[in-house]
Amino acid sequence: MVAEIFTSIFGALTPLATMIVLVAGALALPGIQMFGKKHVVSWAFALILTIFALVMDMCLLVDGYTGTYLGVTTTVYTTLMGMLFLIVLFFVVLVSNASTETTRSHAGAYYSLLLGATTGMLFVVSSVDLLTIFVGVELTSISSYALVALKRKDGRASEAAVKYAIIGGLSTALTLYGISMIYGLAGTTTIYELAAYVLTAESFNWAFAIGMVCMIAGYGFKIAAVPFHMWAPDVYEGASAPVSMFLATGSKKMGLAVFIQVFLFMFIMAGTLGTIYGEIAQYTFAILAAITMTLGNVVAIAQNNIKRMLAYSSIAQAGYILIMMAVMTNEAMAAGTFHMFTHVFMKGGAFLIVGALICAGIGEKISDYKGLAKRAPFLAAAMMLFLFSLAGIPPLAGFTSKFFLFASAIGTPGATYDEWVWLAFVAILNSAISLYYYARVVKAMYIEKGSETEKIKVPAVFLFAIVLCLVFVVILGVYPDLIYGYCEMAANTLPHIVG
Amino acid sequence: MSMILTSMIVIPLIGAILALLMGGSREKLAKYVAIAFSAIELVIAVLLTLGMFGSFDSLSESFQWIHTDVFVINYALTVDGLSILMVFLTSLLVLLVNIFSLDEHRENNNYFYALIMAMEVGLIGVYTAADYFLFYIMWEVTLIPMYFMISWYGGPRRHYSAIKFFIYTHVASLVMLIGIFALGYLSVEAGPVDFSFEAVKNGIASAALGAQSLIFALLFFGFMVKMPSVPFHTWLPDAHTEAPTEGSVLLAGVMLKMGSYGIIRICIEALPNAAAYWQWLIIAIALISIIYGAYGCIAQTDLKKMVAFSSISHMGMVMLGIGCLSEAGITFAVFQMFAHGLITAMLFMVCGMTGHKVGTREIPLLGGLAGRMPMYALFMMICFMASLGLPGLVGFWGEFPVIMAFYDFILANNVIWMLLFCMLSLMLTAGYYLWAMQRTLFGPETTKIDLTHAHDVGHFEFAVLAVLSVLVAFFGVWPDAALQFLEPYTSGLIAAMGVI
Repeated sequence: MVAEIFTSIFGALTPLATMIVLVAGALALPGIQMFGKKHVVSWAFALILTIFALVMDMCLLVDGYTGTYLGVTTTVYTTLMGMLFLIVLFFVVLVSNASTETTRSHAGAYYSLLLGATTGMLFVVSSVDLLTIFVGVELTSISSYALVALKRKDGRASEAAVKYAIIGGLSTALTLYGISMIYGLAGTTTIYELAAYVLTAESFNWAFAIGMVCMIAGYGFKIAAVPFHMWAPDVYEGASAPVSMFLATGSKKMGLAVFIQVFLFMFIMAGTLGTIYGEIAQYTFAILAAITMTLGNVVAIAQNNIKRMLAYSSIAQAGYILIMMAVMTNEAMAAGTFHMFTHVFMKGGAFLIVGALICAGIGEKISDYKGLAKRAPFLAAAMMLFLFSLAGIPPLAGFTSKFFLFASAIGTPGATYDEWVWLAFVAILNSAISLYYYARVVKAMYIEKGSETEKIKVPAVFLFAIVLCLVFVVILGVYPDLIYGYCEMAANTLPHIVG
Repeated sequence: MSMILTSMIVIPLIGAILALLMGGSREKLAKYVAIAFSAIELVIAVLLTLGMFGSFDSLSESFQWIHTDVFVINYALTVDGLSILMVFLTSLLVLLVNIFSLDEHRENNNYFYALIMAMEVGLIGVYTAADYFLFYIMWEVTLIPMYFMISWYGGPRRHYSAIKFFIYTHVASLVMLIGIFALGYLSVEAGPVDFSFEAVKNGIASAALGAQSLIFALLFFGFMVKMPSVPFHTWLPDAHTEAPTEGSVLLAGVMLKMGSYGIIRICIEALPNAAAYWQWLIIAIALISIIYGAYGCIAQTDLKKMVAFSSISHMGMVMLGIGCLSEAGITFAVFQMFAHGLITAMLFMVCGMTGHKVGTREIPLLGGLAGRMPMYALFMMICFMASLGLPGLVGFWGEFPVIMAFYDFILANNVIWMLLFCMLSLMLTAGYYLWAMQRTLFGPETTKIDLTHAHDVGHFEFAVLAVLSVLVAFFGVWPDAALQFLEPYTSGLIAAMGVI
């Protein structure tokens, strides 16, 4: 198989292979920028490395490669999530050179940071220890602060970067505090040893529960779960559209991956769901999910800036995905991972359109989109499909993944869950609410008359990226097995990850 | 395996895409594309109905679609006596609507016809689906074209009406979706859930009655909003008043039937015990809808709004027939769906023409139109008479036998006073139609509006209305032409209920 080519190149280092490629790229890029001068060279280099890493990851995934090197574990789950991050990176890098927002004078640093941030994400999904996870998350976070700030000479971007850094620091502190409490009680930071601790714990310990909740809160900042979401709209608005897309679709998924790894692994793996710690985690996540999706959707209605609206809609989507953490079954995890994938394509596509339109001189207000159907028929149609997919209208990808996700909360073959049906109800009601603000954009584009009528031209790479997203939004809607099969495989191999 | 049902979904889809592509200078072609494809569709539907492709059983199609650890979802289509009538009605009305629209010119014609054809895809899909997942997808597919139809081509308050229509029906279908999940999960002991109608029907029978009746309530709510029944009917008059004539015809003619079709196909077929449990509630909702709808009609001054309220009343009659849970009740409820589809199409065309040709649909401003527009008056009389249940026209066979079936229910339960509601409804229906007709068509010609530009029915409009009038009369004197499909289906349905 193709994967053998890579395994023969990297040998025992194969679990690290994608990270090695990206790190090498991140280190080389500033040099290339210095000697190559032209920003297009840096772009091409970064793009080629990204595609190489993506192809390698896909081959490992299709082959079902598993392996461990120095505690870095590669499983189906790792390669699957790795593929998600690399797809995001691919889209972001692809359009960055054509975007007028991303700085060209610092192309080397920009691509280097993007590659570095993605390395952090890949590191997170192949870790089985709280501390290595923490290191990966920090690598991504610190790169992201700089990425936001790189849109120089823009007051909003600087404000966003500072806000992001301060709140990120707070979340780091909370996480470390939680980890230290857990370490103090359990004497370990390795997840499967923690699971054993939870399983054998004789009496309930408040400190351990608080440590858990601190970690949920700390990583809750990363996924912008309510009430830790305040930074997200400001940052997405301030950053350039490609970077916003990177944060909304990539970095947020990393936070969710951390939740999967720490809590799903810990509880499902050890079969300790019935214990009191499991219940605390489940109910915390259920409440977090319900509040996050409701607030995200309700506040999104009031937004006039499309980036802010998409930011709140991302918050709401994170709320939907958190359902899997409340239900904590293999099916829920498969459905949640699948929703992360469809979210990449639909939300990513929407951000790409926003970015493309900014390049064409269209503003960020929803009212600027008036009459877009006449000026850019393809972009308007694509935007409509992305938004409808986000709202969960069949037969698009967003519907199918929500179908699986909500279904996992309602029951399992042979029974319905009494505990989580309410969560499915809340989620479904939220889907209905969300339709209102998505429809508002569609209405502006298709129904209202704009003041200008000239046609809009956008860069060809943007169109290419948008078409790719669109193809996947449609294909995953009617043929989810393409990725869902791997999501199930990842969820089912979960208990065998360690040991 | 024959692919005839799939082709019935694919043909309008191709028509929609082609019509959409006919933009700019080729805009004139869009309507011919739409007519051609809907004509092919009708031909297939007629051949299907006449049994040219073999018996219904041989026409089921099923392909493996999504197979996961939890779900087995198939792309499955089927037709039987219940769906064949709806498929025929849908393809007939879509073609007639396309022809009817020829007399009027619109901006962006290509979008208009693409929407109509897209709606046909969803409608045929709903009426032929044999899998819950596919059914739900098709159910939602009908929604979006109608939303755009209203908000692009509608009247002055179109944005409000379109979004109201969308939110009402979308929320209802989401509730239905929860019901579908629960139905699926409880239909199996373990292992993957097979979402095909047949598997769920067989599996759910052993579930507890409490769970069944809860699921029934969720599903019934979804369908009831679509029908619509009081108190969730308020989107309908708004949507109809603002929608263009073509949209109203499809909305009232075939889309509302999705609700009653769903009740029979899913609620009654899969959950007969729960249906018996909720029988009184169904009857109560039906009676309230009938009476409230009829009273609503009397109060309206807008002709089209009046017809919209009459739809609520007549769909209440459908629900009454279903609520009887007897062979006669369900048979004639479905016949009433069919009859109402034909009649209401005429009604909305006539009312739409009033607004278009005279300039207003306000009844108090109209009067004595018969003199100036004799053909218009003739068609209005035909459809009003058909709708109020004149023997010899198709409406009679929809209403009268349903009341007969209800009479059996009344006798069996010893609630003779309920007959009063039926009498009241018949009186009110006759009342509002005759009164509206008298004020619109007869008496001295109105001086409140300028009638100098009023012109009679156009050529294409005449052709369409004539075809519908002939069908209304044909099924009025020979209802068996439609009933022969229904009777085997309902007797099978009732027999299956008896076993359970």
